[in-house]
Amino acid sequence: MNTDIWLIRREFWENRAIWLIPAVFGGLLIIAALFGRVDIPTMTPGSHGQEASGIFLLAIGVMFYLVMSLYAAWYLLDCLYTDRKDRSILFWKSLPISDVKTVLSKLLVGMVLVPLVYFVAADVTALITAFILTIRARASIGSALWQPEVWGQVQILWMYVILTTAVWYLPVAGWLMLVSAWAKRAVILWSMLPPLVLYLIERVFFGTQVIGHVLNRRLVGLPAVAYKGWTHEGNVNFDGHTPISVWHFIDAGGFFSNPQTWIGVAVGVVLIIAAIQLRMRRSEI
Amino acid sequence: MAPLIEARDLTKKYGAHVALDRANLKVEAGRIVGLIGPNGAGKTSALRAILGLTNYEGQLTVLGREPFRDRTQLMSECCFIADVAVLPSWLRVDQAIDFVAGVHPRFRRDRAAALLAKTQITGKRRMRELSKGMKTQVHLALTMAIDAKLLVLDEPTLGLDILARRAFYDALVNDYMDETRTILITTHQVEEVENLLTDIVFIDKGRIVLDTSLEDVATRFIAVAVTADRLDAARAEKPFYERHTLGKVVLYFENVDRAKLSAYGELHTPSVADLFVAKLSGGAA
Repeated sequence: MNTDIWLIRREFWENRAIWLIPAVFGGLLIIAALFGRVDIPTMTPGSHGQEASGIFLLAIGVMFYLVMSLYAAWYLLDCLYTDRKDRSILFWKSLPISDVKTVLSKLLVGMVLVPLVYFVAADVTALITAFILTIRARASIGSALWQPEVWGQVQILWMYVILTTAVWYLPVAGWLMLVSAWAKRAVILWSMLPPLVLYLIERVFFGTQVIGHVLNRRLVGLPAVAYKGWTHEGNVNFDGHTPISVWHFIDAGGFFSNPQTWIGVAVGVVLIIAAIQLRMRRSEI
Repeated sequence: MAPLIEARDLTKKYGAHVALDRANLKVEAGRIVGLIGPNGAGKTSALRAILGLTNYEGQLTVLGREPFRDRTQLMSECCFIADVAVLPSWLRVDQAIDFVAGVHPRFRRDRAAALLAKTQITGKRRMRELSKGMKTQVHLALTMAIDAKLLVLDEPTLGLDILARRAFYDALVNDYMDETRTILITTHQVEEVENLLTDIVFIDKGRIVLDTSLEDVATRFIAVAVTADRLDAARAEKPFYERHTLGKVVLYFENVDRAKLSAYGELHTPSVADLFVAKLSGGAA
């Protein structure tokens, strides 16, 4: 138990980017709110206010989510590779820490703790920018941005997003960690090359695109599985609900009863076990 | 008492290459054993197997455990330094101490602090800011503060200048070694460790060619400096190696009566380095 905490602390020591990137990104958004042009149409209170507040919070959330996805992918791809590259793995392995714990601590950081850091950063940024915009825009949007009900719902949405992201992208995380534990160099190239080659071979020799579809669905198909009313055009259909509530499009039941979710989890577990085995056995660094 | 390390028919293959070929080895508690061999002889493979960093064929027990299966438990009673340069560059000295104190049951923090207090190194320094000699001091302080039964050193002083090397070995003998500890060390600089070893193990082409204590070396091996006129007579006693120097030939004998040999010239006990050359070249001839 104690060891687990130290392993996680270690990851935060090594990867200061975990909090530096969201801090800088949030800082940039705050600067934009301070000095950017405020051009928001006057709105009537009521449901429009909720809409404005919701769009404002979602826009900030989506921006943080995109940055977080890129960083988390990089983190997972790098985490079992850097200490082999600089040979410090020999120091870590001289301590009584199992490879299972080492790999799982990195998975936990990449899939849960990094998203939580971004979630907190997004919330803090939203609070500060809303405050700034309220002062700058005065009455026009002032009250519209402060809707406790909407803020509360966005917190729920974030938690749901973190949970579904961690589950849905487990096979992707497993693959990145496997490459990280295996590759001698060029981890980015090795993470992309095998799927690309498989895709091309299938396409050229069999004329089909099954692999391409599977990969595509895994990489961008989460919204369609986890939310209701997600149309193929990428628009959310609220079914005319007013006032809008996150419960109208969170589809936890659908997500967790979808076989694709669990096939992904199974593949992820296999890949992570493989990464652990490689970490144990790889005799040359 | 059972030996601390016991290897029987220890074999390690990398594809077609056999790094360890049915090696047999016994190390008793309280000894300082030098594992000496040319490049590619299997030294590192042997150490990796002993430390549980790689799987192997044959039988191997270290501190009564199977290293590969029980690496985590083994590392709570054993520690190793595989080349001093492996502390990760981002790690701060105080973080290193906190981490090892957090995960290692036998780490004594006060002892590490006392060892570091003798140096110029302060806690907030990162490894990347330290010279190689200073990194050695940090690594050594961390290691010597662990109450380990077995310390394994793999080329510990590689790349260090002579002052740092001397300081390393002095600290090892004066501050660390006592009858409860055992040290296994590999190095190229045989001369440097010669006076601190109690046992030597020669390894060549994956096989153990000599495993003996230094006391036994003195009774078992004799080098005789023979002048040219007595050379043929001396050769009749079957030396296993001849070394031609200025005006003289040094013949190396194993288990031959001293009294007999003294007739041919001046007797002396070969140094470990000489014996190493003699044993390995002799074996090849």
